[in-house]
Amino acid sequence: MFAYIVRRMLQSVIVLLVVGLVAFSMFRFVGDPIDNMLGQERTQADIDRLRAELGLDQPFPVQYYKFLKNAVQGNFGVSYRQGRPVSTIIAERAPATLELAFVSGFLAITMGIALGVFTAIRRQGIAANVIMTVSLIGVSLPTFLIGILLIYIFSVELDLLPSFGRGETVMIGNWSTGFLTTSGLKALILPAITLGLYQMTLIMRLVRSEMLEVLRADYVRFARARGLSDRVINFRHALKNTMVPVITITGLQLGSIIAFAIITETVFQWPGVGLLFINAIQFVDIPVMAAYLMLISVMFVSINLIVDLLYYAIDPRLRVDARAT
Amino acid sequence: MTLRNSAIGIAMLAATSVQAADFKWASTTDPQTMDPHAVNSAPVLGFLNNVYEGLVRRDKDMSVQPALAVSWEPIGEGDGWRFKLREGVTFHDGSTFDAQDVLFSYQRASGEAADTRSWFAPISEVIVVDDYTVDFMTTAPNPLFPSSIANWMIMDQGWTEANDAAVPDKEAGNYATINANGTGAFKVTEREPGLKTVLEPHEGWWGDVEHNITRAEFNPIQNPATAVAALLSGDVDMINPVPIQDVARLQEDSDVEVIKGIEARVIMLGFDHEAETLKYTDDEGKPNPFRDPRVRKAVAQAVNVDAILATIMRGNAEAASQLVSPAMSGYSAAHAERPAFDVEGAKALLAEAGYADGFSFGLKCPNDRYLNDEAVCQAVVSMLAKIGITAELEAMPVRNYWPELREDNYDMYLLGWSPGTFDAEHPVRFLVATPNEEKKLGSWNFGGFSNARVDELLPAIQSELDETKRQAMLDEVAKIIQDEQVYVPMYVQPLVWGTRSNVELTQRPDNFFLLRWVTVN
Repeated sequence: MFAYIVRRMLQSVIVLLVVGLVAFSMFRFVGDPIDNMLGQERTQADIDRLRAELGLDQPFPVQYYKFLKNAVQGNFGVSYRQGRPVSTIIAERAPATLELAFVSGFLAITMGIALGVFTAIRRQGIAANVIMTVSLIGVSLPTFLIGILLIYIFSVELDLLPSFGRGETVMIGNWSTGFLTTSGLKALILPAITLGLYQMTLIMRLVRSEMLEVLRADYVRFARARGLSDRVINFRHALKNTMVPVITITGLQLGSIIAFAIITETVFQWPGVGLLFINAIQFVDIPVMAAYLMLISVMFVSINLIVDLLYYAIDPRLRVDARAT
Repeated sequence: MTLRNSAIGIAMLAATSVQAADFKWASTTDPQTMDPHAVNSAPVLGFLNNVYEGLVRRDKDMSVQPALAVSWEPIGEGDGWRFKLREGVTFHDGSTFDAQDVLFSYQRASGEAADTRSWFAPISEVIVVDDYTVDFMTTAPNPLFPSSIANWMIMDQGWTEANDAAVPDKEAGNYATINANGTGAFKVTEREPGLKTVLEPHEGWWGDVEHNITRAEFNPIQNPATAVAALLSGDVDMINPVPIQDVARLQEDSDVEVIKGIEARVIMLGFDHEAETLKYTDDEGKPNPFRDPRVRKAVAQAVNVDAILATIMRGNAEAASQLVSPAMSGYSAAHAERPAFDVEGAKALLAEAGYADGFSFGLKCPNDRYLNDEAVCQAVVSMLAKIGITAELEAMPVRNYWPELREDNYDMYLLGWSPGTFDAEHPVRFLVATPNEEKKLGSWNFGGFSNARVDELLPAIQSELDETKRQAMLDEVAKIIQDEQVYVPMYVQPLVWGTRSNVELTQRPDNFFLLRWVTVN
């Protein structure tokens, strides 16, 4: 077990280093930040001076090495656009993204599992069929369109919810939260639905198909023969056995909720790290892009690690296999 | 604090006899800094014009009027300019404005680290005569100097030095990047970069209050569809810009209004004047046809600007004949005619130049810099195809675009130019003069056009004090540019703002939005 974790950790570090290298080799193609930083009346001398100051005249492996050297000491550089330390900016923006991801993730998991179980048990019912049909929308419509549609219906036409932003926030230490104000909670509804809808339908469809499979299994038939109640069969025996693939997918999806909040955040002008990243790309704000990409890869790598460890906890066969090899 | 603000609210209520109001507005870009000398860009200077002031400022019609200076006069025969400063002006923190602040702001804004230093290139020395008189000595007579510093904003020496911000720091930022202390009608009370900026009226402002705002909040909203939704739902009171395709829809809504105007920016096609051969062509090795003025003229005649304006711009822009719009000073009225749309004439010109069979070349175009830029380029490609020349269009984000142009990777390109001084001399200096790094000339003349007469006239224009003589020279330059067809000016870019219908405001051609002209009914 311990050796396994250490091995996985080492693999993770290598993955991170490669991600960083690829990112830095790509930055040249994103564009040139110089024109954004200097006004219309700049001269070639100004351009050369600034490029040298920022170290952009050096080959990318050197830039990457410098970034790593500083990053190890917790210094991610200064944003070209805002002129403030990247770590400060990300710390300011992270709560918005994490709160949004948490709410939509929670929504996706609870609703997804509940609806999945429901449609599996009552698979001939009208309600189940309606849910399955509607869920197709969630899978097939792009996030961008769902967001705009929701804004159009709920803020422009019905005037119930705000069209953009995060509402009033309250600072708890360094964490700005929107959970404690009415406007903050209202502002959370539409983005959370937009972000979570795809994941919810995905989890629901996965739970449903796994459940249908498991319900046909011998041990469920045997349980029925033993005269156990439907409730015990469905939830204790069937649902528990559908959970392994569901956890894998949910874990990975949780990462992508945070990573791909970019589109939702852009549509709703949600002040999180995704919006920050989009801004950074437009401005070619290399320090912010680099820090964001590293952060996201750290997150994916650790989620994968946690998911692997959870398998261990849930599936006894893995433990036996590990001992055998 | 709250008590004081409500007291101002009441005072303003009495003064303007309209209800005091909260105002929210949104635009696509957040000003990247609050430091008026660190970044010379329209979003920054436009925003900070609400907070800081210069010696002079521009009125609703762009004319220059006194601000922190009450008057100015030339010294001797063009040796410089003497500014008499306004007395009794206070900064937002309460300290008094005087000549030392002007000298300090000159040093700060003209230093190595400042992005605004090109404004002060003609200045040899700044002399404080007394507390309220400052002399700006120029190396050559400079009639335009007072109007060229309308965006040069004065900072308080004491505040700036006390906060270690005496030198602007664009790369690492300093106190003045997030905080502001100007003399303007509004002060920054809250600043969260990229999220929101809150402004409140400056109670000690010297000017006559025309607005009725008690609190103004700026939010950047990047996605145009979200901004339109925010305006329609009343979450914001004003947005800039309104996407062209949404104009008709907003006009139908009785709760909102669309305010249209003409921006100072002229959109044009540029050529490579220097290259021996075309770079993106099927006819490798053939000489570069764009070095022949007849070919450039053929392009000008082949582009149907009226059709572009009617379809892509949906009737929201005006055709352009010169590198500046008619609203700019120094515009040459004698050259207001643009080449007529004439396919046959264009073909004849091509045949005359020896390109009867046409040729193929590369057109570079940005896709996120100007309104509908890529669509305009596509239209140009199909119009040029009708006279037998085939353009291969490559459109890219502006962050990749300028480096491409600097490296001469184009045969023809699209460019928009807004003259920072609102004078016809500006594009001549940057776009037409022979590139000269030392003299800071022609820094945006990517194609390397060079004309000895233009280079000779430019310094004369810059130092001529007599309006008529100056205009005669500008007319001559305009004629050369048209005869040579150095660029193909197409149209003046429109300005489209959206407001709630209870808001009255003024739209200035430089796309600056000034809160002091806003009334919420």
